[in-house]
Amino acid sequence: MSEDTALIISIIIIIALLAIFFISYIYYRKTPTPSNCKNLKIDSEACKRCSVVNCEFKEMNKDIKKEGKKNE
Amino acid sequence: MDNMFLLFILAIINGMLVDNVILSRFYGICPFLGVSRKTQNAFGMGIAVLVVILLATLICWPIYYYLLIPANIAFMDTIVYILVIASLVQVLGLVIKKYSPVLYKALGIYLPLITTNCAVLGVVQSNSDMQLSFINSLANAIGTGLGFLIIIILFSYIRVRLDSSNVPKALKGIPVALFAASLMAMAFLGLVGVIKI
Repeated sequence: MSEDTALIISIIIIIALLAIFFISYIYYRKTPTPSNCKNLKIDSEACKRCSVVNCEFKEMNKDIKKEGKKNE
Repeated sequence: MDNMFLLFILAIINGMLVDNVILSRFYGICPFLGVSRKTQNAFGMGIAVLVVILLATLICWPIYYYLLIPANIAFMDTIVYILVIASLVQVLGLVIKKYSPVLYKALGIYLPLITTNCAVLGVVQSNSDMQLSFINSLANAIGTGLGFLIIIILFSYIRVRLDSSNVPKALKGIPVALFAASLMAMAFLGLVGVIKI
């Protein structure tokens, strides 16, 4: 297989995987959370150590912190 | 056949105890320290990691041998594995969120943490680096996942006791946990050489 073909295949694979990731991400976000799981909270220490920026639980933790500061 | 089964079991024990992913390779330290404060949380995280490692191996092995190697682009394995693991975690989260609220309640909260867990990437990467067969890759994945589960649960018991003990202020929390982890790693070092495959 020539280098050009290998390059094209690698680009196609990366684009396909990125597309799968973004589609699954969008669907994950759109899927409603089950009613009995809406108040799930993650340990704040675990949240600090995780590097996923846009996680729904991290956002939830931020909102709780903001509300706490407002109440103070 | 019996010999193969024995090797499979030995490979699992090797990945679980001798060449433990946390204590000897130092992978997955972030969730190990972050989610080990309560035993219940540690158990949930361990099970979620085990499932994701197993599924990631099942998907990544054929991708490497039937797509990357024939196309002569094996150098792209790491970036492909990262994308596959990230997508897999999203899809798994989506499926259990939609069809199994009970499972989502138990494991869903840990799934975003697994996306960036290097233990998962480490296993699939080592499978391809060591050119393991499909069965050996599976054994490595099961052993590593079980090893993560056992160590995080054992460590959660230690941390529960550490939290209630009189520790100097400067060492409270993560520092003393790291001391305990290092002692645990030294204890597990005693198992090196027990199994030779």
